[in-house]
Amino acid sequence: MAQKTYMQALNDALREEMERDPNVLIIGEDVGQFGGCFGVTKGLFDQFGEKRVRDTPITESAIVGAATGAAAAGLRPVCELMFVDFIGVSMDQLFNQAAKMRYMFGGKTTIPMVLRAPQGAGIGAAAQHSQSLESWFMHIPGLKVAMPATPEDAYGLLLTAIRDDNPVVFLEHKVLYGVEGEVPDNAGAIPFGQAKICREGTDVTIVALSKMVYSALEAAETLAAKGINAEVIDPRTVSPLDMDTIIESVKKTHSLVVAHEAVKTGGAGAEIAAQVAEEIIDYLDTPIMRVGAPFTPVPFSPPLEEAFIPGAEDIVAAVEQIRS
Amino acid sequence: MTISKKKMIEMYTTMYRIRQFESKLQEFFAASKIPGFVHLYLGEEAVAAGACAALNKEDYITSTHRGHGHLIAKGGDLKLMMAEIFGKSTGYCKGKGGSMHIADVDLGILGANGIVGGGGPIATGAGMAIQYRGEDRVAVCFFGDGASNQGTTQEALNLASAWELPVVFVNENNGYGISCPISKSMAITDIADRAAGYDMPGVIVDGNDVTAVYEAITAAVARARKGEGPSLVECKTYRWRGHFEGDACTYREKDEVDEWIKKDPIPRCAQKMLDEGILTEKELDALHAKIDTELQEAITFAEESPLPEPADLFEDVYA
Amino acid sequence: MLLPAGSRFSLKHNILSILMTTVGIIANPISGKDIRRLVAHGSVFDNQEKVRIVRRIMMGLSSLGVQRVMFMPDYYAIVPRAQKGIHSNIELISAPMCADNSQDDSTKAARLMAEAGVGCIFVLGGDGTSRAVTKGNATIPILPISTGTNNVFPFMIEATIAGLAGGLIASGQVSPEQGCFRPTCLEILNEDGSVRDIALVDAAVHTDTYIGSKAIWSLDQVSQIFLTRCRPDTIGLSAIGGQLHTISPRELQGLHLTLGTVGTTFTAPIAPGLIEPATVTEEARMKVGDTIFIKESPCVIALDGEREVEVRRGEHVSVRLSAQGPLVVDVSQVMATAQQDKLFMH
Repeated sequence: MAQKTYMQALNDALREEMERDPNVLIIGEDVGQFGGCFGVTKGLFDQFGEKRVRDTPITESAIVGAATGAAAAGLRPVCELMFVDFIGVSMDQLFNQAAKMRYMFGGKTTIPMVLRAPQGAGIGAAAQHSQSLESWFMHIPGLKVAMPATPEDAYGLLLTAIRDDNPVVFLEHKVLYGVEGEVPDNAGAIPFGQAKICREGTDVTIVALSKMVYSALEAAETLAAKGINAEVIDPRTVSPLDMDTIIESVKKTHSLVVAHEAVKTGGAGAEIAAQVAEEIIDYLDTPIMRVGAPFTPVPFSPPLEEAFIPGAEDIVAAVEQIRS
Repeated sequence: MTISKKKMIEMYTTMYRIRQFESKLQEFFAASKIPGFVHLYLGEEAVAAGACAALNKEDYITSTHRGHGHLIAKGGDLKLMMAEIFGKSTGYCKGKGGSMHIADVDLGILGANGIVGGGGPIATGAGMAIQYRGEDRVAVCFFGDGASNQGTTQEALNLASAWELPVVFVNENNGYGISCPISKSMAITDIADRAAGYDMPGVIVDGNDVTAVYEAITAAVARARKGEGPSLVECKTYRWRGHFEGDACTYREKDEVDEWIKKDPIPRCAQKMLDEGILTEKELDALHAKIDTELQEAITFAEESPLPEPADLFEDVYA
Repeated sequence: MLLPAGSRFSLKHNILSILMTTVGIIANPISGKDIRRLVAHGSVFDNQEKVRIVRRIMMGLSSLGVQRVMFMPDYYAIVPRAQKGIHSNIELISAPMCADNSQDDSTKAARLMAEAGVGCIFVLGGDGTSRAVTKGNATIPILPISTGTNNVFPFMIEATIAGLAGGLIASGQVSPEQGCFRPTCLEILNEDGSVRDIALVDAAVHTDTYIGSKAIWSLDQVSQIFLTRCRPDTIGLSAIGGQLHTISPRELQGLHLTLGTVGTTFTAPIAPGLIEPATVTEEARMKVGDTIFIKESPCVIALDGEREVEVRRGEHVSVRLSAQGPLVVDVSQVMATAQQDKLFMH
């Protein structure tokens, strides 16, 4: 059992897959000698050389498109967007090309590529470097979307992402890079579409994504002090989305709160809430509540950014509201 | 550069096959026999035929929304193509793709593409894979004059050049992006001029002369195989039909179309072969008859094939 | 006297004749873009550069007071763009023709300009463009400026100076006798003796049967070369002759080389960046009027480096050295005359 940071876990997963499979290579802006803007690819250039850890120009369409083409030609590229916000300039290559090629071609090709991108607010990076965009990606058939919260999940999900034969959008929360956690020595690939019950409870189900898992666990402690026993579930991948685990939990707790850092409107929480309502509305004793960011761009100034980012207190408030 | 008799016949055969295939589609569309819409390659046959004649089976191509010609030239199966365009389950894509998304990865065809400029980065990625594995292959990106204004194309040109990838960018300049003439869409007129900005060779050839296209692409492919990086070959050509079938073509004069029809690449090539004794009239007729039979078989196959079942909708979203 | 603003010619100039002067400009939008960028190392000569060259020609013309330009319409609109960029008052007249974007445009434009009585025609292109212009006009002086690939015939010259020299010839300040010369050319003759085509620098017999991408970048299939001129410091097929002799553009003689596998081998730069061995089996000087029968049939005759004339199976052509090349402005000589006559002195 080793203590590792989220970033080290990602770095380990990349290194191990590159050692295991010569078809795996990394492309992206400043991923080489520089080690990646946040440092995720540190040391890989020295170990694998420029051929396998390749700096690109600032050319997001070509980065995503080249990864797509290389994957269609049999490689397993891992491309990095420095910030997920930059997907805007390369979206066509992801959602019209990579995501759809297999289907459009009648199943006659695979696109085994990973697009890694940090998302999330909290470092004063403002509106174009802080968004959480998982709902954009989960809306597109053909893409898989992973968003690990812990070092162990970061490691295990990235192994799976690289080995998957489909295009995977791998969303890392930039505030989590320095978070430490236990990664067992025998840790391995974690299958997609398997939610993790982070805390068992009986009174309310809190489904939380990415960094909000920590807020949900904190909220659960606060609620416990108030006599409310919350169950916290991290879906870990929003596409595929493990609704079975969520539904089983809600059948038990009869109450649901969904929390994510993305803007609440049209977010992943809306999808989860809707599916629960469609499937098991009779089990619900309370209304469903969503906790998410307000419908504004991510602001810059610390008090504004703090006001934007949802936290444990918002989850507590939501639970108390539906139970009142 | 010598073009063998065999190669001349091969290129002519390809052009004629495309011509007949597209002409049939024109009829079928008019008769509402095919769903969706089609962008015909009529008039531009020499580009696909000349370019693909310079390639091997294991070379890659990315194609466009006007892709039937490229697919046929790269060896696409007429039966599977026709069935796909008919929306049948036996088609190349089991009816999931249609005219704009036909692909055959085994033939190196990384897909026609419904997004103008969509193919550039993909061809560049295929080039990256070739370079990574040290293979003796090239990737050809077919793109139009309209696509040349897309950022994706410019990014692909830049990356391919910066990394000296084995990619040949084959521009089909047919003068119009749907209704918009290039005079309104760019400040220049020769897409080849843009090559200089990426430090790659940019050449212009008569896109209605299959031998000219073949020579230029052969040279560009040889360069790419030697590791000397990408090239841009602009083929000046013209589409006889509208952007899509049903386009009334109000944006161009009939005289202009007639002038280009006079430059039809197919009789030009046929005459050359007859003059040089490569084929006799009788052999040419036999060649035509053979292709017409092949096409008829493809049509029969498509017509008699079953439509997909609604449940097939859910197949192949994920691997 | 109404003088154009900015003009600073002296009283030595004949103001009326200047104001009446029209010059022609034929700028080929397609020159400098053929396959020799792929098979050799030619530069991509983009059209905006041609626009800038025309601007400098116009500045030269304006400074002399020449106010009217007839131009060949082309799909890039090189000349109108040039004028737009300098806000010049030069009156532009399009040659009354429809461009069909082939080399025939240059021929047609030259003919129309000659008919309109222009005083000089500036030609932007390579050897091929000058050849096309000559086919339409052999009487009006031409001033060819290199914007092509193999440039033996046109001048590598600063366009401002070209504008001045062409303007002086066009307006009669320097006479054609003083400032022009007429080089030889090669005529490709049909069996009935009629002229099928011409070449200004070189004609080559190519044993292929198709024109393809036009340029020649290998000598494998070149069996004979005819030259009107050669020097050891030029590019293209004439560079081979240049390893044997020097024949200046003004000399009324030519050279006929037979290539093969046995003979004297030279190294010659036959295209930009392409230096190849060439084996000369036989060589013979040509006098004006000498006509050589081409026994190869079928074949293609390359003119000034480009495969142009398809000779069908059973058909035969001959090549003749003619004294009737175009009338060419000698920029150095014109400027020297202007110096002697103090034409630019205030």
